[in-house]
Amino acid sequence: MNELKIEDLSCKRGESKVLNNINLTIKSGETLVVKGRNGSGKTTLLRILSNFITSYQGKVSLNDLSILEDNLYNNKFNLIGQKNSLKDNLSIKKNLELWDIIFNETLDHAKLLEHDNLDHLINRDVSSLSDGQKKCISLYRLNYNKYEFWFLDEPFVYLDEVNTNLLIEKINQFNENMGIVILTSNINLPKKFHKEVNI
Amino acid sequence: MLNLIKRDLLLSFYSSANFFFTVSFFVLILILIPFAIGTQSDQLKNLFKGVVWIALALSIIITVDRIYNADYEDGNLDIIMQKNKTIEYLVISKYVTHWFIYCLPLLVILPILSFLFYLDYLETIQIFINLFIGSFGMVFIANFVSALTLGAKRTIFLKAIIMIPLFVPFIIFGSDAGSWPILLGLSMLSFVISIYVTAYGLRLYGE
Repeated sequence: MNELKIEDLSCKRGESKVLNNINLTIKSGETLVVKGRNGSGKTTLLRILSNFITSYQGKVSLNDLSILEDNLYNNKFNLIGQKNSLKDNLSIKKNLELWDIIFNETLDHAKLLEHDNLDHLINRDVSSLSDGQKKCISLYRLNYNKYEFWFLDEPFVYLDEVNTNLLIEKINQFNENMGIVILTSNINLPKKFHKEVNI
Repeated sequence: MLNLIKRDLLLSFYSSANFFFTVSFFVLILILIPFAIGTQSDQLKNLFKGVVWIALALSIIITVDRIYNADYEDGNLDIIMQKNKTIEYLVISKYVTHWFIYCLPLLVILPILSFLFYLDYLETIQIFINLFIGSFGMVFIANFVSALTLGAKRTIFLKAIIMIPLFVPFIIFGSDAGSWPILLGLSMLSFVISIYVTAYGLRLYGE
């Protein structure tokens, strides 16, 4: 059972304060939807949780141990940022091979792509795909499944209704397996999502 | 670290056009010399020993955007940095792959080019040793410049302006036959400075 706790978190970007005294607790099996205006600090919050930003006030801890001191923490989360992490000049197949090496995990891509209705894209160059298709492939990284947390930055942008529902289903399944999901989104999501916070 | 080396080598194999551009660029710069000064063997010999360093410097400058910027722009750098918590290991793996992909091929074709410029075996070996040692130092410099200018778009001229003065000691000592110990010292100094500055640049990016 994991408990991720954010206490009195404040953060400055340049001269402006983007996060001001944020207090949150999220437990295994829960999803937190972070809402807020453009520039309100949603992405900053995810980058703090991902240990990219380390200069902030307050404390972020996992099971009472600060994430800055937890050497194993970086292996526990899967961050899907706003960029797709795809090489435009390569095919999807080659991009997946490169991801396999970085994630140190070889997936059965044929089976998983078929499950996500993406198998027809495998030999296409990334540059020939639509933004929605690129987003779907980017979210395919959620199949690397050794993780206890998913941090998703605007995951629903560019997705159509079918793929939005597919992602919601995946998040629910991950929650059922006691995974924690923190995502940023300004769209109205189904009530299944346990917590919402405005920053 | 080995994973990252494997990944970068595979990526360069898939994008092999980049690799051929660099080799072609290096060869073309050297081929320009006879057009400019004629084909008298003594002049060619002496000029080759110096111009080969300029060609190497320019070849490294044109590859500097591919070290970290390409991965930064498409978002892969986030994943790579997350998976490699010790950033110094990440930096070392980038040194290895950058040198392997962009400098090794230039060293491999160097003997062929040097015979075209009337250099004998001994002179070729001397240039090869100097370039081999000096190219590491230049790669270290290119890496920290790339990391410090991460995220800045269309700044190849800025990078060139920063890098060229730093390459000057290598070019000065590189054309002397017995100067490999000096080049070794310069490369080691570049390594010590570069590993900290590059890691600092990458941490700064993360922030």
